[in-house]
Amino acid sequence: MPVKVAMVSLASCWGCYQSLLDNHEALLDILPELDILFWHVVTDFKYKDLEGYKDGSIDVGIVEGVCRTEEDVHILKTLRKKCKTLISLGSCSTYGGIYGLLNLSTMDEALKRKFTEAESLEEPSIPDEDVPKMLDFLIPNRKIVNFEIFLPGCPVTSQNIKDALVGLLKGELPPPPNRTLCDECPREKSEVITIKQLKRDYEGIPDPKKCLLEQGYICMGPATREGCGALCTKAGMPCRGCYGPGPNVIDQGAKMISALGSIVDYEAISPEELVEKVGDVAGTFYNFFLPSGIVSKTVRKAK
Amino acid sequence: MSKEIVIEPATRLEGHGKIVIKLGKNNRVEEAHFGVVVTRFFEKFLEGRLMERVVRIAPRICGICPEAHHLAAISAVEVAWDVTPPLPALKLRELLLQAKYISSHALHFYALAAPDFLLGPLAEPKYRNVVTVIKNLPDAGKKAIELMKIGQELCFLIGGRAIHPVTSIPGGQSKSMTEEERDEQLKRIDRALELTTFTVDLAKKVVTDYLDVITKLGVFDSYYVGLANEGTHTIFGKATVRVMSPDGKIVADFPKKDYLEYIAEHVAPYSYATHIFYKPAGYPDGIWRAGPLPRLNVVDKMETPLAQEALKEYRDAVGRPCNATLAYNWARIVELVEAVEKAKILLEDPDIVSTDVKLADVEPKQGNGVGIVEAPRGTLIHHYWSDDKGICTKANLIVATNHNIATVEKSILVTAKQVFEDKILEKLKLPKPMIKT
Amino acid sequence: MSASSAMLRRFVYTAQNWCSYAGADMAGTSRMQYPPNARFIRVMCSSRVDPQFVLKAFELGADGVLIAGCHHGDCHYVTGNYRAEERIRLLEKLIEQLGIEPERLRLEWISASEGNVLVEVMNDFVKKLKELGPSPLRKDKE
Repeated sequence: MPVKVAMVSLASCWGCYQSLLDNHEALLDILPELDILFWHVVTDFKYKDLEGYKDGSIDVGIVEGVCRTEEDVHILKTLRKKCKTLISLGSCSTYGGIYGLLNLSTMDEALKRKFTEAESLEEPSIPDEDVPKMLDFLIPNRKIVNFEIFLPGCPVTSQNIKDALVGLLKGELPPPPNRTLCDECPREKSEVITIKQLKRDYEGIPDPKKCLLEQGYICMGPATREGCGALCTKAGMPCRGCYGPGPNVIDQGAKMISALGSIVDYEAISPEELVEKVGDVAGTFYNFFLPSGIVSKTVRKAK
Repeated sequence: MSKEIVIEPATRLEGHGKIVIKLGKNNRVEEAHFGVVVTRFFEKFLEGRLMERVVRIAPRICGICPEAHHLAAISAVEVAWDVTPPLPALKLRELLLQAKYISSHALHFYALAAPDFLLGPLAEPKYRNVVTVIKNLPDAGKKAIELMKIGQELCFLIGGRAIHPVTSIPGGQSKSMTEEERDEQLKRIDRALELTTFTVDLAKKVVTDYLDVITKLGVFDSYYVGLANEGTHTIFGKATVRVMSPDGKIVADFPKKDYLEYIAEHVAPYSYATHIFYKPAGYPDGIWRAGPLPRLNVVDKMETPLAQEALKEYRDAVGRPCNATLAYNWARIVELVEAVEKAKILLEDPDIVSTDVKLADVEPKQGNGVGIVEAPRGTLIHHYWSDDKGICTKANLIVATNHNIATVEKSILVTAKQVFEDKILEKLKLPKPMIKT
Repeated sequence: MSASSAMLRRFVYTAQNWCSYAGADMAGTSRMQYPPNARFIRVMCSSRVDPQFVLKAFELGADGVLIAGCHHGDCHYVTGNYRAEERIRLLEKLIEQLGIEPERLRLEWISASEGNVLVEVMNDFVKKLKELGPSPLRKDKE
């Protein structure tokens, strides 16, 4: 009996669904088990089809992306009504995601930049006819509707998605990953980490075996949930925190600020130097998480 | 008696489009709008970010072609900071983009376009998708998946992740390729060539079956834009931006940094994605198309031999310039051949396993830089301004599909007229569908 | 809301146990007058002040947050105050990026015998907060 599935994209990049496709041959086992009733990049069902399904008649709904417009909110609420189980796919849906960095500006500032100041514009003009209204700020989807399952990541890895779908189909979900990225990362770590020098990601050439944070590169590992297989640190780049905070953490950015305070050598790096080197504090620590932060958006009025 | 047809959302494309067609008396098409109903404002939230992080944020513009954004971004940053990475790093970057072409063009052909042709335009909408294709043509389905896998896994190897790569950094790449990895990839690229040949044959069959449709439906003139390296097809690296007028003349061939003199955006009130046009021709006369078909219009020849043969076959059938919208799918296959051939050439280059892939000394500089690459779906422009600390102070972006918004709209208008006024569906020679539902 | 309560500027004062809380004690026992606007929270060390607490205080509507720790070299746990300083400087920059004036967050070193310094600091902080006006995060602000 195929499982009825509806998959929507709110404001998103489709990376999480691409990650689903990147299960490659395993798709040939999963797809026949699904009766796909909405998936706009792959199938031809329209919104009126989605709205026409009976409430609660769809077994599984999947939401990728974040609510950027009022129409996104409508689609999200519609999907919640139609589905028994709702999955939040990816960090945009789960935390607000990388587009959440726009929460550091007001919507007026954003519209102004893109539609009146951009260098290639012929003439300034803000679209206002038959386009859905922009929400002032991004909030995580769970503040709008309830979800049964959250899969963080940017994107969620193909393995995570496969494990979740197969688990759902079997009726037994895998246990959530519950440690931090540092536990997954294969790099060598000293017993006690002390940072004596801070580096921007492009400075020097990192030792491929040692902990990046120890070498002075700002890596979000300590404040980030495991589950991705430490892809970035294995590729020579510091973690940016896309899987969101580890368990028992309310605010990922604040936690990383706390962690840095603990391991920076005060004699070697003064607080002023720390701030100078970090440069962009909000962007560094809240790259994927800002709409879920304790203070989740700017309180400044438009300049 | 006016009637409004609303198609919402536009499907089998990545992005959020809404089509509105207004019909008047006697089914006369009065208006056709293609509205993009959302935007994320990268041009605003990239401000204030460290430039090397911009390179890791930009890929989130698109999860199907994040490599293109990663590479356009790093190119722009390195121009702004006046940094030239070691040559092996540039070769790895090009290979990354070729790998993306392999998986993206295969994905587009099999999952986004093929359902229309294999099932036919009269099939029920609920069957018109790749799941039906896989069910009914399991061999083609398996081969498609295998080809996409080869592309994605090569992307993973070079980019650190297949989706949202991380390895490009001012000064080079954060990891190099080992000889074992290269040897394994060479084996796979040979398999990719076999799978591409299969795809070419399938495409040829589709094109032959649908030639009447391709040469009649949605055919209209426009300008065309794409990169070229002294006339040769290229997607990355040394190139100029070529513009072809509707009558087939190359009217501009300019350095990447001068794009603002030739490219402008018109804001349509019903779309968050702007209408791009060739500035000297003005709006709306200068609206243009980007992507595979326009690229094959503006270049004189392909870079690699089999692709050049495929180009010749294509041009013999549809001409140059080709203005037939549906021929995009054929042009895409010509490019797929080149992507596989070029990937093999790069993998066979001894530089590809060099460990000299990153400069140790990189300093930020105040300045601005333009990075342009050909994303699978069109000419991708990233323009950043950096302060002396290496923080982004401004960003201007013209993304691949942005170039096509106005011309997609035009193609809808043209096609709607054909369908509702000329009743073209009754006149077209439609083949028997390969898949019956 | 009456005029006088509208003028009340509220702030959270975290005083660490060994130095600054004792300093506050001293101010009290010496009958020094200090402004009533502070909500005191005692912690064992300024490094116990989790950045999440600071953000939560602002989110709940505090007009300011004042964190007091021991002078350099006097930390009961040796390095705690250094860690606090590294964190607070980052937090100042963070709240600035979020549109909250960084002056609303303050870090001071106050010893057990410096009750007078404490009073001065608190008076100065209240004065500054009155100039800045209510926190933009206050839901009841006029």
